[in-house]
Amino acid sequence: MRVNPNMVPNILADLQQSQSTLNTALQEVSSGKRVTLPSDDPNASAQMVQNSIDTANVDQYTQNITSVLTNVQAASSTLSSVVTSLTQAVSLGTEGANGTNSSANLATLAQQVQNILTSVVAAANTSVQGIYLFGGTTSTPPYTADPSSPTGYTYNGNSDVNSVAVGDNLSIQVNLPGNQIFSNPSNNVLGALSSLVTALQSGNSSQISTATTAVSSAINNISQQQGFYSGAQSRLNAQETVLQQDTVTLSSQQTNLIGVDLSKAATELSQAETANSAALAAAAKVLPNTLLNYLPTP
Amino acid sequence: MIAVSVRTRTVQAGEHLQLLRSLGRELERAMQAIAQNDIDALEQSVANQQEMSSQLNHLADDLSSPAETPLTFSSDSIDHSIDHDLMHEIRSAAGELQQLNLRYSILLKHSSRSVALMASLFSSFRGEFQEASGARLKQQTWSCQM
Amino acid sequence: MGGLNTALYMGVQALNATQAALDATSNNIANSNTPGYTREVAQFSENAENFSGGTVSGGGVTLNGIQSVRDELLNLQIQQQTSQQSSADTVSSSLQSVQTLFSSTGADIASTLSAFSSSLVQLSASPTSTASQQSVLTAGQNLAQSFHTTADGLTSAQSAADQQVTQTVAQINTLTQQIAQLNSQLSSSVTSQQNGGSIQDQRDELVQQLSKLTGVSVTQGSDGQVITTANGTPLVMGGKSFSLQTTTGTDGFQHVLDSNGKDITTAIQGGQLGGAIQVRDQVIPGLLNSLNTLATQFAAAFNTAQTQGFDASGNAGQAFFSLPASPGGAAAGISVALTSGSQVAISSDGSPGSNGNVSKLSAALTSTLPSGQTPANAYSSLVYKVGSDISNANAQSSALGQSILQLTNQQSSVSGVSIDEESTNLIRYQTAYEAAARIVSTIQALSEVTINMVAP
Repeated sequence: MRVNPNMVPNILADLQQSQSTLNTALQEVSSGKRVTLPSDDPNASAQMVQNSIDTANVDQYTQNITSVLTNVQAASSTLSSVVTSLTQAVSLGTEGANGTNSSANLATLAQQVQNILTSVVAAANTSVQGIYLFGGTTSTPPYTADPSSPTGYTYNGNSDVNSVAVGDNLSIQVNLPGNQIFSNPSNNVLGALSSLVTALQSGNSSQISTATTAVSSAINNISQQQGFYSGAQSRLNAQETVLQQDTVTLSSQQTNLIGVDLSKAATELSQAETANSAALAAAAKVLPNTLLNYLPTP
Repeated sequence: MIAVSVRTRTVQAGEHLQLLRSLGRELERAMQAIAQNDIDALEQSVANQQEMSSQLNHLADDLSSPAETPLTFSSDSIDHSIDHDLMHEIRSAAGELQQLNLRYSILLKHSSRSVALMASLFSSFRGEFQEASGARLKQQTWSCQM
Repeated sequence: MGGLNTALYMGVQALNATQAALDATSNNIANSNTPGYTREVAQFSENAENFSGGTVSGGGVTLNGIQSVRDELLNLQIQQQTSQQSSADTVSSSLQSVQTLFSSTGADIASTLSAFSSSLVQLSASPTSTASQQSVLTAGQNLAQSFHTTADGLTSAQSAADQQVTQTVAQINTLTQQIAQLNSQLSSSVTSQQNGGSIQDQRDELVQQLSKLTGVSVTQGSDGQVITTANGTPLVMGGKSFSLQTTTGTDGFQHVLDSNGKDITTAIQGGQLGGAIQVRDQVIPGLLNSLNTLATQFAAAFNTAQTQGFDASGNAGQAFFSLPASPGGAAAGISVALTSGSQVAISSDGSPGSNGNVSKLSAALTSTLPSGQTPANAYSSLVYKVGSDISNANAQSSALGQSILQLTNQQSSVSGVSIDEESTNLIRYQTAYEAAARIVSTIQALSEVTINMVAP
């Protein structure tokens, strides 16, 4: 059987293959990516869709935690200062109840407790970047002065709570409404304070004692409400750690799917270069050599 | 002696005639070989021709060399004792050979001119092979004017 | 000897025969790189010897013709595989332009969907921030835009394939006319015993080109070569060619008709034409369909979530996206109906600070649509389909390329011309002629001498 005298197509095909391998290796090293188009790896490209959505979400969850923590911490420290104020009110009330006070003293004590009430209301109206911490989901100051109210203040907020998304299936409640903390009917802090003011103004010792006791139990209530905020804080911090882990997982998934191992790619590139040079050299030797080169010119 | 040399001459003349005819056939063989593109046969025929023509050379010398007779004044030196008819046949065979040779030489000239043209044409081939793109390769064609 | 005339006659014959044989060799060398050229071998037969005057002389030779050495079966296989490869290549290159629409450029649906999703997450933490509300609106507009771009890209690839159908049909008709002409020449030149070899080679080369344009079936009929499309529509019958036509169909695309006006579009397979029709009528419509379904169902799910809540002004939530009337234009025409970020339905009860509905909006993005997949998964499937269609076509093309190369190698070893073989002959001829020429001179001299030997 005759041998195929036309080796040119075969040699050219081999050269093209080696050139193509070289190009791919070069592309991978310079871009760091193994996959730039769906056809490079359809499966990996399809999985990257979800990866990119997840990555964007995880970034945002992390940012959410940061901004929410600010408010939660603000609320918690506000309540701490309220506890301090209430403790002071209790000692004022205790003093007022010992029966040795002059009416002038009592008047002074009453005024001091009144001041404490004002500051507690101010605390209840704390806002961070325009958001009222204790108004539920309203956007106006939770407590306004209202002479017709027994406490002197009306709650304008609502009882709604917001939960903020901090994970794919995780939302964390981030607020307590003011009417739960400060003007809860079963334990009305503002009410207790204003009762103490009235009691001091009246000078009735037993009344003062009763009012002082009410303020004491208000302290317990506030402390309990504070527990909510510290609980929220620790849940948020825990979730932050989880999200950090998620970020690492997503990032290495991305590398596995479409990235290239640079040292491996560099090795492949130099191998491809060597092979290509060899193919070119071989072709250069083989192709033009026919007997025609040796035919004597007449 | 004379009788022997006469017989030898006749025999030689006979051989001469045979050789002329064989050489003629050899030329025909050569022409057929060229026509059939049979390079082997051509080479063999040329070799045979070489051999035969050198033999003819010797024979012609012998024929034309003087016999052991007194010098004559004629320009030719053929022994008159060779058969007249034989000489006639030799001459005519030589004539036909000459004609054949003429035809043969024209054929040779013609062929070798073509071969020379082709050889110079193709030994000037310095073609480049272009790569085709894609998985399919096309063989390139080249041509030039003669 | 047969006399001078015989020798003369033989000489002339030999000249003619030699000329033809030399033509064959020179033809072989000149055509060693001609596509499809088949090696020629001079076929000689010896004429009967002449008996004349008791002597035998050679009758010379007669040239019977120059046959081409070819293997018809190899040709057929190569044609079929060429059609398949050409079809795969057409699919691959048509879809290449489409593929970038689905890769991560920032403007693709995956990227805009991600941004939309994270804008809602941000809104969850700051529902009353007008900046956050506006972000959601903008992200929604970007998402709609990426649907447009993707759909538009698909339809323009479809138009390009449609144009390719028209162009390819025109090329097919040109080729079939040329092939028919060559067939006519062949049937007349074979009968006059001239060389039909190079005409047949030209014709085979044209048939090979035709097989790149559409799948063909080549048979030998009583009147000559018969070429039909793969499904039997006649293209060439001997010296007669049949043109294909194109006409605009009810779908707005070019339909292919046979010479009788019958619509054969769905029956075309193989070659550029088959590939273009496949892309235009099957692959891209499939992708567009899935895309439109995704746009329609996603918009509906999100709009429903909107209407379950209230916006920042306390109004009931309105549809976020609007879709065109016809579902076939969903992806190309989807748009954002809201005009302000304040219309995003964040609140679950109408109070402005509530984010109660935001989780429903987010859930719409991860919910299972009526098609059975989440929006992200539905889109992932599209990405996978495009990528694998192209990579399968590429793999098929490259496998066929290997096979065709092997077949072509076989064909070359049967039919191919070796420069070395032919030029070896040239060298030998040169040498032999030189030797022969010398002897001619010798013989000339000899015969002169002998002739001039005068008998007394």
